[in-house]
Amino acid sequence: MSPYLLIPLLPLLAAFALALGGRRLGAQAHRVGIPAVAGSFVLSIAALAEVAAGGPISIRLYRLLDVGDLAVDIGLHVDQLAVLLLPLVTGVSLVVHVYSSRYMTGDPRYRRFFAVMALFTFAMAMLVMSNNLLATYMCWEIMGICSYLLISHWADRPAAGRAATKAFLVNAVADVGLGFGVVLTFATYGTLDIQEILASASSMDSRTFSLLGLEVRTNTVIAFCLLSGAIGKSAQVPMHVWLPFAMEAPTPVSALIHAATMVNAGPFLLVRMSPLLLLAPAAMVAIAVVGAVTALYGALVSLTQSDIKKLLAYSTISQIGFMVFACGVGAFGAAVFHLLAHGFLKGFLFLSTGDALAATGSHAHGHGPVRGKRLRPLALGALLLACVPPFVLFSGPYERVWSARQIPSADAAFWAIGLATVFLTALYTFRGVVSLFGSPVGRSVSVHPRLSSMAHVSGLAVVAVVATAFLAGLWSLFSDFLGPALAGGPPAEASSGLTVAGLGAALAAAVAGWAWAYHRHLNPAAVPLPRREWAKTAYVLLLNRLYFDEIHDAVAVRPTLRVSRWLWRDLDLRLVDRAVHGVATLVRLCAERLARTAEELVIERLAHGTASLVRIGSGWLERVAEAGFVERAPHVAGTGFVLTTGWLWRMVARHVTGEALQEVGQPADGAGATQGETGPRTLRHQLVIIVCWLALAIGLTYWLIL
Amino acid sequence: MTSLLTDHLISSLIAVPFIGIAAILLVRGRAFARWCALASSLGALGLGLALWSGFDKTVSGMQFVERVEWMPTFNIHYAVGVDGISLVMVLLTTLLTPLCVLASWTSIESKARAFMSLVLLVEGAMIVVFTAMDLFLFFMLWEVTMIPMYFMIVLWGGPERIRAGIKFVIYSLTGSLLLLAGIFGLYLHAGRTFDLQAIVAHGIPGEAQTWIFVALFLGFAIKLPMIPFHSWLPDAHSEAPTAGSVILAGVLLKMGGYGFLRICLPALPEASDSFAPAILWLSIGGILYGGCLALAQSDLKRLVAYSSISHMGFVTLGIFAFNEQGIQGSVMQMFAHGVSTGAMFLAVGLLYDRTHSRLISDYGGLHSSMPRFVVMLSIFAIASFGLPGTANFVGEFLVLVGTSYGGMLKVLLAMGGIVLAAAYMLWMLQRVALGKPSTSAGAMLPDLGAREILTLAPLAIVVFSVGLFPAPLTETLELAVSGLVEQAAAVLEGVGAASD
Repeated sequence: MSPYLLIPLLPLLAAFALALGGRRLGAQAHRVGIPAVAGSFVLSIAALAEVAAGGPISIRLYRLLDVGDLAVDIGLHVDQLAVLLLPLVTGVSLVVHVYSSRYMTGDPRYRRFFAVMALFTFAMAMLVMSNNLLATYMCWEIMGICSYLLISHWADRPAAGRAATKAFLVNAVADVGLGFGVVLTFATYGTLDIQEILASASSMDSRTFSLLGLEVRTNTVIAFCLLSGAIGKSAQVPMHVWLPFAMEAPTPVSALIHAATMVNAGPFLLVRMSPLLLLAPAAMVAIAVVGAVTALYGALVSLTQSDIKKLLAYSTISQIGFMVFACGVGAFGAAVFHLLAHGFLKGFLFLSTGDALAATGSHAHGHGPVRGKRLRPLALGALLLACVPPFVLFSGPYERVWSARQIPSADAAFWAIGLATVFLTALYTFRGVVSLFGSPVGRSVSVHPRLSSMAHVSGLAVVAVVATAFLAGLWSLFSDFLGPALAGGPPAEASSGLTVAGLGAALAAAVAGWAWAYHRHLNPAAVPLPRREWAKTAYVLLLNRLYFDEIHDAVAVRPTLRVSRWLWRDLDLRLVDRAVHGVATLVRLCAERLARTAEELVIERLAHGTASLVRIGSGWLERVAEAGFVERAPHVAGTGFVLTTGWLWRMVARHVTGEALQEVGQPADGAGATQGETGPRTLRHQLVIIVCWLALAIGLTYWLIL
Repeated sequence: MTSLLTDHLISSLIAVPFIGIAAILLVRGRAFARWCALASSLGALGLGLALWSGFDKTVSGMQFVERVEWMPTFNIHYAVGVDGISLVMVLLTTLLTPLCVLASWTSIESKARAFMSLVLLVEGAMIVVFTAMDLFLFFMLWEVTMIPMYFMIVLWGGPERIRAGIKFVIYSLTGSLLLLAGIFGLYLHAGRTFDLQAIVAHGIPGEAQTWIFVALFLGFAIKLPMIPFHSWLPDAHSEAPTAGSVILAGVLLKMGGYGFLRICLPALPEASDSFAPAILWLSIGGILYGGCLALAQSDLKRLVAYSSISHMGFVTLGIFAFNEQGIQGSVMQMFAHGVSTGAMFLAVGLLYDRTHSRLISDYGGLHSSMPRFVVMLSIFAIASFGLPGTANFVGEFLVLVGTSYGGMLKVLLAMGGIVLAAAYMLWMLQRVALGKPSTSAGAMLPDLGAREILTLAPLAIVVFSVGLFPAPLTETLELAVSGLVEQAAAVLEGVGAASD
């Protein structure tokens, strides 16, 4: 048993202990959560050291499923990629745990909060280390439900419930793609082990399957499926709508979602599956386009948001967009680098935001407390964050993808979008930081002379450039380290002058954005408000986030509900159910009809027949009587009397014998007949006797009189 | 005694509920009836677990077989035995019944003795259905399950109970009639025997298979139910008392799926194969249709009822995929659905006991007044839409893998049903559990008591333990399912070779 097993296991055990631990743990919940995550963090660092020294570690856990030729072994694969992410996941989670123990004090659902956070940490750690696509998918979904539970933490707020449901459902729609990809991968490769899949990916390159009558290449479809999953979890356009709403969660949760877990899963999955993605150029282009659009969109929208948490959410969307963009152009190592840098910085930003919000009790912009001491490192951090994207994007040539497509205009678009986004990123990062920690616009100059000095800005810029250079030094180390875990080893040598020039241009764009934002901040009045109509329109559009929420509502939510109601009211109740009732009614009508017919045809005719029979009989009697019945009457009566008496005698005699036999206890012979008559005298018997006596009396009278 | 018990384990298992009924009928007193029902259903659970532990997973074919001549004139036997599939169904039955008894502990006020005997009667009859190897026995007890259900609905049900009960009985009777016709068809074409193994060994001529299959299919499809034969289900489920709904959704529906597996596939492989494409599309239709309808409901019990239709679609989807993953998945799905939907009905029942309302709009904000209840409801809601880590995920995933051999489009469409499930369950949770209470009374509802926790917690444990460690169940199923698939494949291959 490797100790690294404990990296996901400790948070899981903590989650169990907290969930089942009863009320005693209550306010002490953090005493379970913090040590567990701290243990994971320490082990993550140890794993980093060990992998750096000795290469990947594989740990087999247990066999989840073994059905037919489907065998799913859950296990851990700790390679260079995993160990780089693990310290981020567990480290940020640890900080968030410690922070929450103070931030959430007195919350009625304190224990639940820590239990779900621990589970969340488990799911992300397990996702990073998983060696099996099914296990990846499982952790992916568990993170979804954790985010649901945390977003709805303050369940009294109706908005929190709505946001949680929205987050999960948007993810569920996107995850159909991922789940489909998992099934398709198994159907194609016959295994779900990630390393095996990646090893045999190129040999499966010619595999196709038919979907809706089209022959499509399997690897391309799988890559699109992975992208679909990433679009949901990592809040890419057009599935990004849940992330801003997720701000209904307590602030530490936002830090966890934005920095350590959840949104990072998308780029991670793309990087993990990079050898497969590289075989699907069409999907790579789609990934790049989605990432670029998201990066640009997030940056533009975050310029207009006035709620600080929404601003940070859109900045996350934009940054993750960058990472996906980087994946799309084949710069997987750069994406991981960006992911790490963004994770740590964003975690820091959010926790600081939490402080500010706790102090002011408001999400609104520009009322943050003034903390001069913290400002400098934070501003530096923000500038670094602004410099990461250009660095990431322009650190190497991505000829592999773009030249494979042979589209020169795509190259130009890549540069244009990249530079524009870098500029905007610098702009909104500065804006976010200043609005949080600087003073309200208009008073800043006098309160913060140090920040306002031009020398300070240039100093910051110098620091940024130095830091970037340092990062560039680190970069080669980093890419060498990460290389074995990625697709085709380390990226090709960035020797061409174009790349250096590109990097320079990009850094210049970033600094320009920063400087412009700073200029605006210093002279708010000097900046003219948008005068033109189109500018206003653009502003309104962006302020409303390009109406994505409304579009989702109109395109997906309401039609589904309307179709459902229509199906229920008009199809199920009116058609299916009525058909059943109709059949029943039909049967009943038939039965009634049958009964009526029977009455008319059989019973009435029978009655008529009897009546006519009686009539005929009486007519015959009449005729017989007229024809001389009277003369023969005494004879007839005599015969009748004798016969009747004889029958009567026999009846009575049999009756008596039956009773006698029964008294003796011997079985009567002719079982059926005798048994019937051994019973008590029934009405039938008495009637027979009465009729006989009457007949006798009439006969006697007749015979005597005549 | 010990050897008697081990030699006649299945018969003892069948006898336990009936002994319980006899005791309840002989002794007066409501309290006695409750305790007696609980004791005998727990006894049955114990014997079911004993059966499971004694079951040899490495041997294929029927185990614990008992065979006694019953009506020699018609070649009818009392023959029972279990294989993996039967065993899982028996476990499900014996697991849910004690919980049904617990759920009716206080909510059934009038005629408690009769109610408890009916619950035990259904249990006993269903155990026979799931273990019968003789089709006559199978059919007889299949019919017997209907009678107690009818009385449960009509005597203890909701406001529309009479209509729902009659609809249930007439619809089911129609199905049974077709089933009877099919069984007689098998009897006549397989040398006048009701012994299922003999029928399978004898084989049914190709031309007769079609009409027998249609008759049996309709019988099972009504019970399962598949669209468009589902319209008895929402009424019956929503009007039945809690225990009735749990038994209906938890076990009774599974008789349909079990019938497909036990009779249609082995005895009529060619007809099953030729009808499979149509049934697969019907299943997918059912998954999406049921999901959409559940989304439109404003009544909690009807929502869960329509969700059952959707989930049962996965069962037929897996069965008629004709491969190991599909069939194992569908049995797992039956088990998981029995547990999670049974638990949903139990949970809704607990809510109904408090407020006597099933309308979603009458609730809201329960998280503050009933936190434990909300935890339980959430667990079963997320299980219901197949979150990984729950038993339902295992079933659905296996079914999807099984379906993938027959075309990826079906997989994609079936996954749409999972999204719909997430949508209606989470929307329901949002409206019931989150937010602010819609009424002032809702804010003061008492949380779950010990007995109620005891009703729900075992199911929660089962949902997660099967979801994370499905191996004990899949291993139990393995040989039965692979045998079934191989046998059908061999027959179909033979037919293919003959026609070539």
